[in-house]
Amino acid sequence: MSAPRRVAGRWLVACLLCLGFWQLGSGAYIPAKAWLAQELMQRAWLRAGKDVERAVPWPWADTWPVARLRSKSRQVDLIVLAGGSGRTLAFGPGHLSASAMPGEIGNTVIAGHRDTHFKFLKTVEKGELLSVESTKGQKHFYKVIGADVVDSRKGSLLLDTDVAMLTLVTCYPFEAYESGGPLRYVVTAKRVF
Amino acid sequence: MNNFNTSIRVRIAQLVLLLIGPVMVLAEEPLPSQAQAGSLLWRMQQGYTTATLMNTEVDMQISGLVARVSVRQEFLNEGAEWVEGIYVFPLPDRAAVDRMRLHIGDRFIEGEIEEKERARKTYEQAKQAGKKTSLVQQQRANLFTTSVANVAPGERVVVEIEYLEEIRYEEGRFSIRFPMTLTPRYISGQSMPDKLGSGWSADTDRVPDASLITPPMVSSSKGHKLALAANVNAGMPLAIITSRYHPVDVAEHDGRYTVTLGGGQVPMDHDFELVWQPVASAAPRAMIFSETIEGEPHHLLMVMPPDQDEAPPVLMPREVILIIDTSGSMHGVSIAQAKRAVSLALEGLQPTDRFNVIEFNSTTNALYPESVMASSSSVDSAKKFVQQLRANGGTEMRPALSMALNNESRETHLRQIVFITDGSVGYEDEMFSMIEDRLGDARLFTVGIGSAPNSWFMRQAAEAGRGSFTFISALHEVREKMDGLFRKLEHPQVTGITVDWPSGVVVDGYPQTVPDLYLGEPVTVKARASGEYRAGDTVRVSGDSVTGGWSKALPLDSSQSDEGVGALWARARIADLMHNERRHSEPDETRAAIVATAMRHHLVSKYTSLVAVDKTPARPADDPLSSEQVPNLMPYGQSTNAIFGFPATATNAPMLRLIGIACLLAALLLSAALQAGQWRLRVRAA
Repeated sequence: MSAPRRVAGRWLVACLLCLGFWQLGSGAYIPAKAWLAQELMQRAWLRAGKDVERAVPWPWADTWPVARLRSKSRQVDLIVLAGGSGRTLAFGPGHLSASAMPGEIGNTVIAGHRDTHFKFLKTVEKGELLSVESTKGQKHFYKVIGADVVDSRKGSLLLDTDVAMLTLVTCYPFEAYESGGPLRYVVTAKRVF
Repeated sequence: MNNFNTSIRVRIAQLVLLLIGPVMVLAEEPLPSQAQAGSLLWRMQQGYTTATLMNTEVDMQISGLVARVSVRQEFLNEGAEWVEGIYVFPLPDRAAVDRMRLHIGDRFIEGEIEEKERARKTYEQAKQAGKKTSLVQQQRANLFTTSVANVAPGERVVVEIEYLEEIRYEEGRFSIRFPMTLTPRYISGQSMPDKLGSGWSADTDRVPDASLITPPMVSSSKGHKLALAANVNAGMPLAIITSRYHPVDVAEHDGRYTVTLGGGQVPMDHDFELVWQPVASAAPRAMIFSETIEGEPHHLLMVMPPDQDEAPPVLMPREVILIIDTSGSMHGVSIAQAKRAVSLALEGLQPTDRFNVIEFNSTTNALYPESVMASSSSVDSAKKFVQQLRANGGTEMRPALSMALNNESRETHLRQIVFITDGSVGYEDEMFSMIEDRLGDARLFTVGIGSAPNSWFMRQAAEAGRGSFTFISALHEVREKMDGLFRKLEHPQVTGITVDWPSGVVVDGYPQTVPDLYLGEPVTVKARASGEYRAGDTVRVSGDSVTGGWSKALPLDSSQSDEGVGALWARARIADLMHNERRHSEPDETRAAIVATAMRHHLVSKYTSLVAVDKTPARPADDPLSSEQVPNLMPYGQSTNAIFGFPATATNAPMLRLIGIACLLAALLLSAALQAGQWRLRVRAA
């Protein structure tokens, strides 16, 4: 093998290594941000309970905590943010503002990323209890009554229900590499007390 | 050196394994169960691509004030099974659908008009028997459904629908619109267990036929192409003929114009509008067209009141209530258009005027508890309020309209409500009744926003609110259209309009009482006469305006004959009967009257449908038939997520990790290859 070709080969290896680590780094940044944001949220949550109506977790945030979603059996403890925009979902599950507030009659819809906050939905089973705490400190318990795969282009979310419902939405399939697919995994729960 | 390299390589390999490891473990985990019972709210429909492709060809023949439009809907079955295609589509809200043909190869079967239930049975029987059959039903004044059964794999079936429509004439311009898709309607209420149709929504107590008016929506499609050609015989020299939102080619021959879409086909994602304007000297002041059916003359007459342009604007201060729809369906370009329109309206206020701004989605939010004087500071804070609005949530317009209609009107101010929305609601009738009941002295002006607004709702609401209706489909025309609206708001109306027919003739005319007119609007009346005309008989239209009383006589014997006037009269009568049905409680009588009129004029209505059946069975009895709903294309500039409430819930982290691993693997292999090459070189040297 000639020397120039070897040099070119070395450069290529170096480039591939750089690119690879860069991509891995970006890939790791997303869950890191998701985790760190939740830590900051927990602090904002404590403030929200007191006198601040919209306790923003950091000064320039355009969202604020509206609820705390927990599952004791799975050690899930998430601060739910207002709104379902891509920016919000990077930091935590988002409560769709068109839907009912936690505990209210109607459907409370919370969306989260399948590969960070809502990864646990994959194994959630019928009959499990989830709790949602409102900013006023009231705790509401919901029992999972079903899970389904829905095509987001065909299905829709029914917001007017005659009992208090909780709907958790995430992307499906959980293992897919590409984002932006049409399928959603939808977990439905009904308020028990 | 070599040792060092090896150790690095081992480490990379370890790293790669470490990274791949979790990915492999993830892939091995079982899929979550998809078939768990107990889900009340959603149902996954099998597969999400339909085998049926849809394309449309439109041909418009325009003569005077009447257009005959043919819509050829081509269903192409690309699947391997026999299918039934169901397609929910919009038509102009005043369309009189009177013809349907089912084309199979070179032959066609003419559709027959039947009562809705009977037509459906005829269709179902033919469908079961394996015969080709098609059915056209009306769901709303501007929403229809074509069903076509027993389309063979790989087969192309064309359903041709024809309708008549009256040309609009306003501010010296003629126009005709062709809607191509619909904005998904907001459905509210308690859901009911049974479903009439196969749409995305359940039927609810508030919108009992919701599943029939909510077709699936797709954001892109290889079908959904539309070709359009129009022949315009205006009967007068034209200064302008053009399309508002699509590039077109225009050719003229003997004073007739042929308009075709530039580039052939366009995606069916926003409405088409053709506009033509006569040269100033030829602008018509009055027109009358007639058609005699079974000895009875039917007339369509149009009279332009004298120009009010020179008349002084109203000096009375106004109280302007601006209602802006900020629901999810307004997301994208629509909300930008709406904000611009509101800002323009705010700029047009005089310091003596009062105003308020109300925004609504799932909740209603007013800027001020009640209207305030339009001082520069209050207008400024209103502008700021409007700028920060975002489109999100449901379309609950009742509380917003109710708030606007509730306020006591002030004797000193003229109350004008400007309602800016895409009208994408399923509970239209409920709103019309509320407006009629509580309007008082106020006037309601509707502004339709977006690529595919619900024009029937907007026109009917403006009619009930004794105001006018303005369409805005693109950001660049907000100013022009809003200026037109402001001229109407500021100028006096023509009132007390009466139409006098010759004595001895009994006339059934629509509208039964001609509403007050705004600047640039003509009087249009559709009438059926029975009795004999005498030579020289005229119909006289008169009214009052600030410039004085006026009156115009049109000779009846000189009227031009135009095919379709009869059907347009019947369509106006049906609209009037439907209106009565909402207001009064004589449903059976009204229904009978609608059916009789529709059957006589071969029209599709709420209670009558067109059905065509092929004689010979096509599908072998043991081949199954699958039914599928053909989707509609999402209106241009709208996002599916904003309406259906499903946000994007995946990050690209897994993809990034995958790419990263692939790069590292490639680097590893390459460096191994390089090392091998070096080693061989050394061996040879030794």
